[in-house]
Amino acid sequence: MVSLETLAVLVLSGLTNGSVYALVGLSLAMTYGASRVINFAQGEFVMLGALSTVLFVTTFSLPMSISIPLVLFVCAIGGFLIERFAYRPLIKRNADPLTVMIGTLACASIMTGGALLVWGPNQLFVPNAFSLNSISLAGITSTPQQLAIISCFAISMLVIWLLLYRTHFGLAIRAVGVDPNISKLMGIRAERVIAFAFVFSAVVGGLAGILVGPFLGGHVAMGLVLTIKGFMAVILGGMGSPFAAAAGGIVIGLLEAVVAYYGSSFYAEPIIFGLILVTMMVRPAGLLGEWEATHK
Amino acid sequence: MRNWLPAILILVLGLALPVLIHGGFQLRLAMLICIYAIFGMGFNILFGLGGQLSLGQQAFFALGAYAFALVQIHFAAPLPIAMLAGITVSVVVSLVVAIPVLRLRTHYLAMATLMFAMIVHDVAVRWTGFTGGSSGLQVPPPVLFGMRLERIEIYYFIFAIAVVAFLVQIFIKSTHIGRALQAVKADETAASSLGVNVVRYKVSAFMLASVFSAVAGILFAIVSRNVDPSYSNIGMVVNLLTLSVIGGLASRVGPFFGAAIIVLAPQFLTGLQEYETLIYGVLLLLFITFLPRGIAGLFERNSMPTLALAQPNTGSTDAAKADST
Repeated sequence: MVSLETLAVLVLSGLTNGSVYALVGLSLAMTYGASRVINFAQGEFVMLGALSTVLFVTTFSLPMSISIPLVLFVCAIGGFLIERFAYRPLIKRNADPLTVMIGTLACASIMTGGALLVWGPNQLFVPNAFSLNSISLAGITSTPQQLAIISCFAISMLVIWLLLYRTHFGLAIRAVGVDPNISKLMGIRAERVIAFAFVFSAVVGGLAGILVGPFLGGHVAMGLVLTIKGFMAVILGGMGSPFAAAAGGIVIGLLEAVVAYYGSSFYAEPIIFGLILVTMMVRPAGLLGEWEATHK
Repeated sequence: MRNWLPAILILVLGLALPVLIHGGFQLRLAMLICIYAIFGMGFNILFGLGGQLSLGQQAFFALGAYAFALVQIHFAAPLPIAMLAGITVSVVVSLVVAIPVLRLRTHYLAMATLMFAMIVHDVAVRWTGFTGGSSGLQVPPPVLFGMRLERIEIYYFIFAIAVVAFLVQIFIKSTHIGRALQAVKADETAASSLGVNVVRYKVSAFMLASVFSAVAGILFAIVSRNVDPSYSNIGMVVNLLTLSVIGGLASRVGPFFGAAIIVLAPQFLTGLQEYETLIYGVLLLLFITFLPRGIAGLFERNSMPTLALAQPNTGSTDAAKADST
């Protein structure tokens, strides 16, 4: 029989990892919603976020409160550059969507290559923004950093919801997602919306990097795995909205925690892939796909 | 004639290559180009013609190679039988995977096939007793009709298969299968209303692509004399997509050009050491920005039509379409 405490620990660790996948997933979904491109450089922003924290905090010895805005600023610039120098030229030349995807993959390669020059090939210790000392809450041990990841994810969800559904700009974002050409006819500057989506997603990715860095360690090659996890989250949840993607990310995180605990941790990875595959067969448009379609 | 010229040039160059170059290393690169070209042709049929985006072709590449190696190791099977076994395993698996997976569309299909390939990769790494784990399996030297093949013979063997694969690709495109697949790519509902059995053609395209992938994997195993899990890792599918885009999506000769670039470019870039990844990314981005239709786009007018991968409103239409299937 599962004790309540075991369950709580599983859920907590599942939520922590799940929040990171959800953050990457929802940033992928934000970009996809506006531009119809899966940005394969998205996970690189987590890498950039984690390693820039090392640069500002460890190398330049700046306090955390100054470093975090700087890190997010660096990521925002990265997102802006990808939109301006990879996405936009390719779209202007009428490239096939797969070609645009390869373009973002080239950006991932550029970011990894650039990071390799700055930070080298070794795994680096990423300074933590919150304490890593374990605290006890109602019998469950956790760390403030872990709780910060989960709450940051919750706050991001709230901010994105407010942005998308409670502002005029959010309406514009959703309109571009439905049809860029018609939204242009309605006087929406679709290019700006798309540029914003890239920058915003980059910032969310960077935020995830700051938070998860102390757990994963900073490494130049950490991006691709996270992109794939984020992509998994997007597909599992359904491509309709950032919230479906976030739900997908949480599900994957919880699934990982449960499979690693009950099943053999050796075969955990293929089992999870198999479970996702089966889920996709049962719900071909993602877990929330049809719900999103009817509730938009 | 204009359309055949590049193919004839490739044929002449391919036949003359062992005379032009001498080093075994260069000949090995030429073999790799042929192998990646075959791999790319399979993707061309599936995505270029049929519009089905699979990110799991590397699984069939690996399955073919593993079956080929295992049959030789355990049963001492001769080369043609082992190749046949590799292709058969790959095709049977592709049929089993295709029927459920091909109900999915666009990015959902891409993800499902990627999940499948990652399972294959994970099993190859973890089932140490059968697959040799991360270090993989040794492939015995190729022997054909009791005669051990020398390097140049292996080259011509691979080149001949590449030429056959090329002809098969063109044949498929020009027959009713090609037309039906193009119809499926353009609009599945319209295609089925015109009497095209959408499921059958999609599954056939998937199986055909798996044959090309398996053949490429088997030849790769012959050249590298070793089969390991890297055959089915992400890097392999990134290579496949890159070569397809660089060569020109849905182009006939595109896979040869794309394969040449992805095999040769890293050779020139290794001298850059730590700058390699960065420069590779920059060059790739510049390349596709200025040649978005690939190398073949420069001269091939009559290439297969390309179609948007994503529909204008994927979120809800996907759900609606998934419902209707």
